[in-house]
Amino acid sequence: MHDEQIQQAQTAVDLAQSAGADAAWASVSRSRSVDFTVRDGKLEEVKDATSRSLSIRLYVDGRYASTQTTDLRPDQVSAFVREVVDMTRALQPDPFRVLPDPELYEGRSTQDLELADPAIIQLTREDRLEICHNQNAELIGKDKVVSATSGCSDGHEVSAAASSNGFVGSQESTWLWLGSEVTVNDGGDKKPEAWMWGGSPNRSDVPNPQAIATLALKRAHDRLGTVKGPTALTKMVVDPSATSRLLGRLLSPATGRGLQQGRSFWAGKLGVPTVSDILHITDEPLLKRGLSSRLYDGEGIAAKSMPLIQGGALQNFYIDTYYGRKLDMAPTTGSASNRVVSPGQRDLAGIISDMDDGIYVTSWLGGNADSTTGDFSFGLRGHLIQGGQLGGPVGEMNITGNLLTLFSKLIEVGNDPWPYSRILCPTLVFDQVQFSGA
Amino acid sequence: MSLPWTRRGILQGSAAGLATLSMPGFLAGCAKTGAHATMATPDNPFQQWFGIDEATIRRVMTELTSRGADHADLYFQHSRSNSVRLEDGLISQANASIDQGVGLRVVIGDQVGYAFTEDLTLQAMLGAAQTAAAIAQGSPVSPAATFQYGSGGSFYEIAVPWSEVGIHTKLPILERAAELAKAGDPAIDKVSVYWNDAEERILIADLLGNVYTDSRPMTRLWVSCTATKDGLTQSNGSNIAGRHGIDWYTDERLQTVAKQAVDRTMILFDAVRPSAGEMPVVLAAGASGILLHEAIGHGMEADFNRKGTSIYSEMLGRKVAPDFVTIVDDGTQPGERGALNLDDEGTPCEKTVLVENGVLASYLHDLISAKHYGLPQSTGSGRRESFRHTVMPRMRSTYMLNGPHTRDEIIASVDNGIIAETFTNGQVQIGAGDYTFYIKNGWLIENGKVTAPIKDVNIIGNGPESLRRVTMAANDFKLDTGGWTCGKNGQSVPVSQGLPTILVSSMTVGGADA
Repeated sequence: MHDEQIQQAQTAVDLAQSAGADAAWASVSRSRSVDFTVRDGKLEEVKDATSRSLSIRLYVDGRYASTQTTDLRPDQVSAFVREVVDMTRALQPDPFRVLPDPELYEGRSTQDLELADPAIIQLTREDRLEICHNQNAELIGKDKVVSATSGCSDGHEVSAAASSNGFVGSQESTWLWLGSEVTVNDGGDKKPEAWMWGGSPNRSDVPNPQAIATLALKRAHDRLGTVKGPTALTKMVVDPSATSRLLGRLLSPATGRGLQQGRSFWAGKLGVPTVSDILHITDEPLLKRGLSSRLYDGEGIAAKSMPLIQGGALQNFYIDTYYGRKLDMAPTTGSASNRVVSPGQRDLAGIISDMDDGIYVTSWLGGNADSTTGDFSFGLRGHLIQGGQLGGPVGEMNITGNLLTLFSKLIEVGNDPWPYSRILCPTLVFDQVQFSGA
Repeated sequence: MSLPWTRRGILQGSAAGLATLSMPGFLAGCAKTGAHATMATPDNPFQQWFGIDEATIRRVMTELTSRGADHADLYFQHSRSNSVRLEDGLISQANASIDQGVGLRVVIGDQVGYAFTEDLTLQAMLGAAQTAAAIAQGSPVSPAATFQYGSGGSFYEIAVPWSEVGIHTKLPILERAAELAKAGDPAIDKVSVYWNDAEERILIADLLGNVYTDSRPMTRLWVSCTATKDGLTQSNGSNIAGRHGIDWYTDERLQTVAKQAVDRTMILFDAVRPSAGEMPVVLAAGASGILLHEAIGHGMEADFNRKGTSIYSEMLGRKVAPDFVTIVDDGTQPGERGALNLDDEGTPCEKTVLVENGVLASYLHDLISAKHYGLPQSTGSGRRESFRHTVMPRMRSTYMLNGPHTRDEIIASVDNGIIAETFTNGQVQIGAGDYTFYIKNGWLIENGKVTAPIKDVNIIGNGPESLRRVTMAANDFKLDTGGWTCGKNGQSVPVSQGLPTILVSSMTVGGADA
């Protein structure tokens, strides 16, 4: 499979070594992507791109540098690689910079992850127009709609990599996403907007255009009449589609680099119960048709399932070869794949119907978190919950606190994971969250 | 590489009508050397920069407009970028990259057909041209028979092009910055320094035979610190960036950025959270221009307005702020990140007044929106991240002119509020007008006096409401030299911002207790 790309990667490794590198890793990719956008019934933009690139990691006399180029003319590539080898010699030696232990390349899964779907590669202009117009038709002229934009984005990529210590691999993927954005008139100058996107590597898992558009319109209508929410210490219910923002911030400092550089609030907490014991998260690179599925990671390390949080305790850091050596810890993988949160018993509707008082968060606006301390503050929009019912829309609010404290107050995980995210997480419920509003 | 998720990330931004501003930590680098690069435009930039001739351009343009066009352009770009990192006392990681290609665009009314290729052979460019041309369904348009070469301003002429600066010259600068930061406080136990320099060569050729060229330098130095005190760890940093050359890195400048990195880290040990809720917010001179970027700048980009999806769509000519408020977006400040000799459609940049003495004056236009609004020309605001992207109206450097008050008067007027000094990021919803920005460092103001330091609070407000609530503005205008990057519809472009000290009488502050 992909002999041409593998050959190109191996040629680049040879080139680096003949230019003076002791060891090298090279990867090549080639992709095609097409985007169609229809606004208010009319084709607005078509973008079609064929792209290619070459990346090389070079190890020269105990020194290290990386390089990328999209100018793949052979004479240009050789001149550039020679120049980068010379540049690398000017750096300081670093004993921790080596290629991965080849043993970590072993045991690569041979299963078909179903990441490349011929039905997506064969999409035609007419197919794409139909996907866009079928969404847009659900939105044009509907109540209070000012403007509606519908799009689809698909692509196909082949990548291959090779190293001087024996790695050879290739991966192929496709994707098809469709989505709509709707702006509605709220009287006066305010025009709330909302959107919905869904997609998959496999066409049969892609949601239907009408369903996408209908949800986008509902989300926009739900924003009509938004008022500033209250300042309160209360329960927070987070919609499944909004959970990845919080979990991303919770998990992103759990890396070898963060740990070694003193920039991780997870330092000293490996294996120690730290957050709510109902939280269980696993990194699952081998999910069939997963958005972040892969057979090997960016260093060639064979992909395998890895527990991240079990019973509220961190089980593993994301550790690559370099920071593993600096920390004297075994490499796991340097980057996240699909993160799967273990589901609970009830869905969003069931959870809300049983809640006297709280705030239901549908999306975030801005905000940030400090990876060293976990201190955070995020803007949000959502609805009040009163007596088991959803109340009117609220906005212009923030929540503020510390991520570890917030997740220690996680009191329920739903059974309704959001499929269109690299973090597959259901509804989350937190107790005693500090909201600031009016 | 186009992974499904990054595709979606891009589309999410687009679809949500969200626009963001951020100061990302260690961005992946882009550009350095190139023995043949020069800052001066060569006599034949087609040949000398991209290895193609004028006949090839005509051939490709003819194909691009074979089904009709109101406007069409080819955007050639060659970028070289170099980045270097110092960590744990060692400069042991560097990156060099080259990116080149051409973007081909056909415009019919407000419809756009776009394709790009990294392969500059005639065959590849013709293939891309056919793809982009498919948006149109009319009769062929003939490109101009001759070329005329246009030029813009000269806002970033540097003494030595980055392509001629070897890595040996850069390393002592990283080492010096690290040494200064390490010596800044005994509690500092980790310092990392990130360096980037880049140079882009741009050539734009349009249907009318106009050819524009530009050579755009950019550099950034980022110093980060981690400190430990009484068993607690804090980290923070500071950076400087602009369209400058190597001589910009004076020892004084290195001392300033290192001291900022240390001070902004050490103050966190004493910092508290303000109380939650609405309160007066003083925005310190400089980086607080983030308020303008989010509260008004994005909403004034004319693509949103011509579609009727901005909160400002029907507000031109309306009084939106007190008389002393004048806000501009300016592409002509020498050496700033937001400076451009000409925009990415070849229009010379200008200083566009968005709000004049409190009245909403002008949107920011590219060629499509200028035509939509019947204007004689765009405001020079048509920008794109690279040859891979279509043009949109974007900000350049957004700032407010001085007002009638003093900083001391402003602080003395606040009984119970905060002053915001440094920021990490912001975001806005174009139609609803709600925007946020995140304060990393600031202070409480109690009874007219600056008291305890604060950290990590998000501010949220509504654009037009906040402009009405700008009740005081001082006479201490400052442009920020931090490396701001603006994201919109998945495209990132460098921008600048500035502000005199101002008071917004009420905003919602994320706080720790009610």
